[in-house]
Amino acid sequence: MTGLLQDIKLFGEYIPWLQALRNKGRDSFEEQGVPTAKTEAWKYTKPRDLNADDFVFLPSNFLDELRAETTEACCCHHENCDCSGDCRHEDCGCGHHHDDSHECGCGGECHCHNHELNLNYGIPFDAYQIHFVNGKFIPIFPALPRGVEIITLMEAVLIDEAKEHLGKIAELDGYPFAALNTAYMEEGIYIRINKDVKLDKPIMLINHTEAGSKNLFCNLRNLIVLENGAEAELVEWYKYAGAQKSRYFTNIVNEIVLGKNSRFNHYKLQDEAYKANHVSLSFVKQKAEAEYRSFCLQKGANIGRNEIKVRLTDEKASAEVNAAYIMSGWATLDTTTNIEHLAPQTFSEQLVKGVVNGDARGVFQGKIHIAPDAVQTAGHQLHKALLLSDTAEIDVKPELEIFADDVKCSHGAASGELDERQLFYMQSRGIGREEAKQILIDAYLEDVISKIQNEAVRNWIKSAAQTEPVK
Amino acid sequence: MSKTPLLEIENLHAKVGDKEIIKGFNLTINEGEVHAVMGPNGAGKSTLSNVICGKPGYEITSGSIRFKGKDLTKMSVEERAREGIFLCMQYPVEIPGVPTTTFLKHAVNAVRKHRNQPELDTMEFVKMVREEGKKLGIDADMIKRPVNVGFSGGEKKRLETLQMTVLKPCFSILDEADSGLDIDALKVVSEGVNALRDGQRSMLVITHYQRLLNYVVPDFVHVYADGRIVKSGDKNLALELEEKGYAEFVKEK
Ligand SMILES: Nc1ncnc2c1ncn2[C@@H]1O[C@H](COP(=O)(O)OP(=O)(O)O)[C@@H](O)[C@H]1O
Ligand SMILES: [Mg+2]
Repeated sequence: MTGLLQDIKLFGEYIPWLQALRNKGRDSFEEQGVPTAKTEAWKYTKPRDLNADDFVFLPSNFLDELRAETTEACCCHHENCDCSGDCRHEDCGCGHHHDDSHECGCGGECHCHNHELNLNYGIPFDAYQIHFVNGKFIPIFPALPRGVEIITLMEAVLIDEAKEHLGKIAELDGYPFAALNTAYMEEGIYIRINKDVKLDKPIMLINHTEAGSKNLFCNLRNLIVLENGAEAELVEWYKYAGAQKSRYFTNIVNEIVLGKNSRFNHYKLQDEAYKANHVSLSFVKQKAEAEYRSFCLQKGANIGRNEIKVRLTDEKASAEVNAAYIMSGWATLDTTTNIEHLAPQTFSEQLVKGVVNGDARGVFQGKIHIAPDAVQTAGHQLHKALLLSDTAEIDVKPELEIFADDVKCSHGAASGELDERQLFYMQSRGIGREEAKQILIDAYLEDVISKIQNEAVRNWIKSAAQTEPVK
Repeated sequence: MSKTPLLEIENLHAKVGDKEIIKGFNLTINEGEVHAVMGPNGAGKSTLSNVICGKPGYEITSGSIRFKGKDLTKMSVEERAREGIFLCMQYPVEIPGVPTTTFLKHAVNAVRKHRNQPELDTMEFVKMVREEGKKLGIDADMIKRPVNVGFSGGEKKRLETLQMTVLKPCFSILDEADSGLDIDALKVVSEGVNALRDGQRSMLVITHYQRLLNYVVPDFVHVYADGRIVKSGDKNLALELEEKGYAEFVKEK
């Protein structure tokens, strides 16, 4: 057993199908383990830190309340134990920490209910906000328009909403962190957009980490269902505050189901602390004519991996997967994509651009698979990187698997350096060298960032790209 | 009346790689003076202007360059520019992806900051660039395009002149400012240059041909050959050169 697998009580263990799913995840992770240099899909990105044995998994606060409502034997009200009301819930097994003694091992940072929360992070645009702190849901729900549901994943499990799709879009084989995520499936949200409903502003999911000195392990699982003809936008924002030295680990799996003719824009800013580990997997399944567009900017974490697997299962489904990364220090930032064209006339387009400084390493692994039936499809992929130092490195692995005729497919990769003549020209006009570099970097990323359709999101990502990551 | 020296170059020797190009160059330019340096192709004129601006790749092996009494060679490229040195380049550089306005705004504000002037806000900046651009025949559309990308030779030189106009340097070097210009463009650019002549600002006009000097009339003319000044005179020297060519100054090889 590794430090990531611990015996932790999770919500809803009495629900057979949920528990069976978790057990499957657990078995699968035990079998696969943390990837090593020999794991093909992880040969460039080595999550060595994840072998540590000091990960702390915080119990969920919010889920206690759900548990209280649904578990008969709960002693939340001190009825079942003979403590006469002053127990700290350690012995009764209810898993509660409703007092502010922080016996959960959080060292005072667990955000018990008694602690005031400041969720005012300067949200840059109007959005339906969903907050997590240290991977734990903060029970504040935005007022939603008709035909849109956002509840916690475990609530969705209770009302049988999640059962149809949960664990059915994500794969475990070959995805050790999806397996791990499944084993710990508990925190996260369920989003459903009803048929033909078009959401008027983005949903923003914020996970704010204040790890302190602890190596927290945050496990988030989201299920997003767009019914036929629905339209929505989701922005994921991973950020941190406070001491930055923690090697905390955020492990996310999104399962995304896009109904016929639906449209989903999926944006993300990964701005974790510089020693953090961030692994995210989005599994997307698209019905006919569904459109999926994603953009992810990674600029934080020591190991950051944003992986997207798209299955275009029906005709005319299309996916646009774009990303950018900006990095320095010793970081490894990895963008891994796998687009499966499984039906005729499906389309995919990918542009990934990176800026690599210091001893950092950018990784792009992009796979386009075209199944035998998927005729008249097109899949294009381009990766470009700007290397700012002699020791910066990029590793690129494009893979085309084409089993059909009559398809248009391409992949390309290019890397370059800043042009000294351009820098001199700007400096000779009084612009400082560092400022001149930033101007060229902004220009370099301009085309990929301009692919973000939502203007407010685009401006936000643009300014995030201009801000140097904090060291 | 005693004059204040602005740029003082003494016994300058400079190399590109292993090749010595500037070989004992002496020149003092006082405040308000316009000097022309004329020489054949390959004489080292662009090298001289690049060395004054601090372009990387050149090595000063001996001699000195002082600007406003300060050792110029110790300053970075941007410091020299902020102190008031402007090079109107022979081959302006294209910067794809960077709109000309963005570039100009960064430059203007960097220089203003250095002079303890408040940064211009977007409105003030746009107004200034529009007005100055108009005089040079630069329309709003042109400055929205990326810096020099797809610009004709004439447009590039106009943009160089616009930059000089908005940055208001106290010392400008014009390196072959007339190359690639038709007569109308030449007039427009010259007017822009002359507008900066206020008896305080100084200029170094580098050119192969005499033509530009009909419009930007110099106080002094120097013949530059084989890395040093071989003859100095007034504006009539330029006419003489036009007639006789550089042959008598270029060493037989
Ligand atoms: N980067 C360089 N590397 C090697 N030689 C150079 C370089 N730049 C200029 N030169 C040489 O230096 C000499 C002077 O060039 P330049 O200053 O451009 O002359 P001018 O501007 O007077 O025509 C030429 O012989 C040219 O070939
Ligand atoms: Mg020249």
